[in-house]
Amino acid sequence: MSEYVVEMRDIVKTFGEVQAVKHGEFTLKKGEIHSLIGENGAGKSTMMKLLYGMYPIDSGEIIVKGEKMGVLDPKIAINHGIGMVHQEFMLVNELTVLENIILGFEPKKGFTIDFDQARKEVQRYIDEYDMEVQLDKKISQISVGEAQRVEIIKTLMRGADVIILDEPTAVLTPQEAKRLFEILNNLKEGGKSLVFISHKLNEVMEISDRISVMRQGNYMGTVEKAETSPLDLTKRMIGREVFLDIDKSYGKAGDTILEVKDIWVPSGKETSKIRGMSLSVREGEIVGIAGIDGNGQSELIEAITGLRHVEKGSVIINGKDVTNLSPRKVRAAGLAHIPEDRNRMGLNRSLSIVDNLIAVRLDEPPFTKGKLLNKKDQDSYAEEMVKQFDIRPTDYNLPTSALSGGNAQKVVVAREVSMKKKLLVASQPTRGVDIGAIELIRNTLEKAKKEGAGVLLVSAELEEIISLSDRIIVIHEGKITGEMLASEANENNLGLLMMGGEQKRKESEAAV
Amino acid sequence: MSAVIDNMDKIFNLSLVYATFRSASPIIFAALCAAITQQANILNVGTEGIMLVGAFTAVAVSYFSGSWIIGVGAAMLAGAVIAMIIGVGHVKYKADNCAIGMGINMLALAITKFLLNVIFGTNGSFTSPDIDPIPRVHIGFLENIPVLGTLLNDWSLMEWFVIVLIIVLQFLFYKTVWGLRLRAVGQFEEAAKTAGIKVNAVKYQAIFIAGLIGGLAGAHLSLGYSTQFTENMTNNRGFMGVAAMYFGGANPVLTSLGCLLFGFADSVGSRLQAYGIPSQFVLMMPYIVTVVVLSISMAVKLSMNKKRQSSLT
Amino acid sequence: MSKAKEGFLRVILTMAVALAIGALLIIAIGENPIDAYGALLNGAFNGKFRLGTTLAGFTPLLLTSIAFAIAAKAGAFNVGVEGEVFLGGIVAAYIGINWTFLPKPLLIIACFVGAMVVAALWAFIPAALRAFYNVSEVCTTILMNTVALHITSYLVSGPMSAGTANPQTAPVTVTLYQFMKPSSANVGMFIAIIAVIAVIFMLYKTSWGYKIRTVGGNPNHADYVGISSKKVFIGAMMLSGALGGMAGCIEVLGVHGYFLNNFATGLGSNGMLAALIVKNNMFATPFMAFFLAVLSAGGMGMQQMTGVPKALVDTIAAVFIIIATMETLFTFKKRRDIRVAEKKKKEGQS
Repeated sequence: MSEYVVEMRDIVKTFGEVQAVKHGEFTLKKGEIHSLIGENGAGKSTMMKLLYGMYPIDSGEIIVKGEKMGVLDPKIAINHGIGMVHQEFMLVNELTVLENIILGFEPKKGFTIDFDQARKEVQRYIDEYDMEVQLDKKISQISVGEAQRVEIIKTLMRGADVIILDEPTAVLTPQEAKRLFEILNNLKEGGKSLVFISHKLNEVMEISDRISVMRQGNYMGTVEKAETSPLDLTKRMIGREVFLDIDKSYGKAGDTILEVKDIWVPSGKETSKIRGMSLSVREGEIVGIAGIDGNGQSELIEAITGLRHVEKGSVIINGKDVTNLSPRKVRAAGLAHIPEDRNRMGLNRSLSIVDNLIAVRLDEPPFTKGKLLNKKDQDSYAEEMVKQFDIRPTDYNLPTSALSGGNAQKVVVAREVSMKKKLLVASQPTRGVDIGAIELIRNTLEKAKKEGAGVLLVSAELEEIISLSDRIIVIHEGKITGEMLASEANENNLGLLMMGGEQKRKESEAAV
Repeated sequence: MSAVIDNMDKIFNLSLVYATFRSASPIIFAALCAAITQQANILNVGTEGIMLVGAFTAVAVSYFSGSWIIGVGAAMLAGAVIAMIIGVGHVKYKADNCAIGMGINMLALAITKFLLNVIFGTNGSFTSPDIDPIPRVHIGFLENIPVLGTLLNDWSLMEWFVIVLIIVLQFLFYKTVWGLRLRAVGQFEEAAKTAGIKVNAVKYQAIFIAGLIGGLAGAHLSLGYSTQFTENMTNNRGFMGVAAMYFGGANPVLTSLGCLLFGFADSVGSRLQAYGIPSQFVLMMPYIVTVVVLSISMAVKLSMNKKRQSSLT
Repeated sequence: MSKAKEGFLRVILTMAVALAIGALLIIAIGENPIDAYGALLNGAFNGKFRLGTTLAGFTPLLLTSIAFAIAAKAGAFNVGVEGEVFLGGIVAAYIGINWTFLPKPLLIIACFVGAMVVAALWAFIPAALRAFYNVSEVCTTILMNTVALHITSYLVSGPMSAGTANPQTAPVTVTLYQFMKPSSANVGMFIAIIAVIAVIFMLYKTSWGYKIRTVGGNPNHADYVGISSKKVFIGAMMLSGALGGMAGCIEVLGVHGYFLNNFATGLGSNGMLAALIVKNNMFATPFMAFFLAVLSAGGMGMQQMTGVPKALVDTIAAVFIIIATMETLFTFKKRRDIRVAEKKKKEGQS
């Protein structure tokens, strides 16, 4: 038997015309933490989903514990001791933690599920690896960190000794991530082999034994942690030097363009309800909102943009009280909005690029004359936008469903920014887009600011918040826990506030 | 109108309880048929059609075989076959639920009409003494007990069975492995998939069972509730079942309680007819009640949600 | 292969399969499918009367199919068109009988306006319930069809009855000119065609149409860009209802000359069928409506000339729709792979 518990050789995987993995290689030793890194779309997640049997491979071979695998599916993978914690948790919200853990592997007693037996088994893992979870709560009632532990217990229950974690820290604060790393080390000491997918180099350098790099579907080599450096890894990942740091011009901030006064906003999730929040944005500045996903960011943005009911308090844009006005009226007051989810909200995927570009200027001449659409002027506008924002393919009559994530996002950004409104709200503007688009979008935000717009930026990437913002507001469970100049901010002090602030630290750690 | 007021005691008496349940029973079967697929997140618009085919098959097979048991069995199978058309269309070929469901309803209407014409050489309806109906359950000792005798005696076998079925399904959904998996598939398909559950297999199973029950619903209608087949005899009961399933949240017990409301509207209505209320008003009553109750229940759900989501509490 | 061409090919293939299944059924009952289909075509086209009857049958289907399709463009599944036809019909009959104080041309217009307004208001109910309380419009419209049927049935057998054995109203005082007598084909067909062209123009060339398409494509997106998805949804449903009402009005003024109990049974569902088969494609829907009109007009002839019951054509139509809804059945190999890949890519994105 070879020294590897998992070997993946010469893997090729094509989705339609997109080659997600052109040439993939991966090996995993017993009892190691092996990081798989690469940019968005480099193929790292795809590689691991292939190992977990979620899609069949086109060619190549997968060997698990010396046994060559035929066609894999998750059930077979699980039976071979492979478990996966997905980036988006695979947990059913309306079922309890316990039901989720045993799903697919339920202990039976006659026709019924033997919940007592299940509880006993689960408790064993909780004790062994020190992972506190509340078994009888529904998933919708527990925190993200806890849900992640539920996912890990799930894999253990299924007898996994190879555990794949797909960007597990993306939803965690730095402090929560530390806690996760402790658990991962416990697992490693217990003899489990772990795959850690990430694009955050500092975390990778902290937790890994070995590191493999992928770029644009290709395997770029494996290194021991001791023999590499962040700089070396960056070069392998990107293949060129990238300057995401933009030339930031500090504060000639002008008049207040957005004022949020003590708003209370409802939400389906307890931790996302906003309970009394006030903030302001001035012309010519970028204000960043930092916080763990699901702490009221989406609700805040929707309340400001007229998409969610405000129960108390007021929102004032450009001197006009727009509280609970329709999105149309809020926009008219001077708002442009890049929404957090381009598929759900930002685009109408069934319509063309040009149709999407004019969506917010429908009643504006020359795009419409009376009620008639003016195709000619729409086209020339679309042509200009495609050129200016480097949208590819350039045929603006194609449906937006044909666009990649980055180009689709460029359509959204082009439409909103070209309005030249005084207030630009940008929520997760670079989520899930390629590196080229990230550069373009960040520069566009910076340019809008220079031209005098006030920008409110929400991002899950702390690095993005710190490098783009002038001021940073940190929120936790629907309340503001701190505010500072970007020059004073770092991952540590932001992370602390994201957990609910220093004075509440003990309490919130206990809850994790 | 005064006739109605004068005869209130004749309209609202003890036998109304059974009349309500009797009218509701075919709708309960239909609602359970819709509830099973709903648990797998498949809106069963085709309930009506499954039921109609079941009703026809039951009468035809009972007539030729002389046995209601064979008739009911055949109806269930026929229901399952029709349901599997929806299943394959929806699961394998990505057909829209509403579209294929409506297609199935039309097919059921057309094919039963066609077969009625070809096999029995008649249009409109078919009845014959040779049709063996589902028996009624006569319990001897209840005869002389005043209240219970009126309430419980001489029920159709299927009316007892529907109660059993409600309990069985409640147990199946919430206590068994299959039920847990079914709900997981319905609520978050990807999660079920990664737990190693064969999602499509579960969906097919749910649709198949729904077909069996839908066929049974039809058999009850044509061999128990009445003893004949009439074109379009389901008369939107399938859709009432779907509506009940909506406000019962696909929970068998709650769903069935909703059906009783329609049964009540229906049986009060038919009593009112005897006192000079135009038949059309009586006939439309269950439909109006369904729409109103469905709307109210959705509105209540919405406002409860709003309260739950409020930041002020 | 272009999208339009492929769509066309799919419809033709589906049609062939449906007709083949129909042929099997015909063989199963011991008849000759070629004779039966021949009789069907003969029944639909041969001679002025038969052709006229087909055209008269085509008119309401054209309107109801477009009515269904326009609601679908805004994301609604309006099964309620049939009820709207009934109500439009009864209102047209009421105005046509009683408002004799109006000069005839105005009276005709009043009939149309009244029918369309009432039908639109009827459609407003399920639309608003859906928009504000998230009540499935599929359920409510189906149930409301039965209510509409009974309301009109009550009116023609009671207050508005002409006292004949068959429940029907007295004749209306204005009618639409029938141009292919003795068939009931009437100028309502041209009114319907103009209405359909207007709807298509509105949908693709005006900002109203843009809003409908946006709401249908992605209601969240619509709200986000400032187009109220609720208002547009309700508006599209009401337009759909108005078209149904227009169909009812044309039936009463053009075909019957009075309101006949149950006259609209099947008009709504067949229109829906036509639209569903071509996935609510506005340009293909009228052709499909015509095809179904041919089937149902020819079915009568087929029943008379051969031993094949008319219910067979309904069966064929139903098989047609069931196969047509199966999105991926006749997708051509390459396209299917791409679509699957796109879906997987979405799932697989990290």
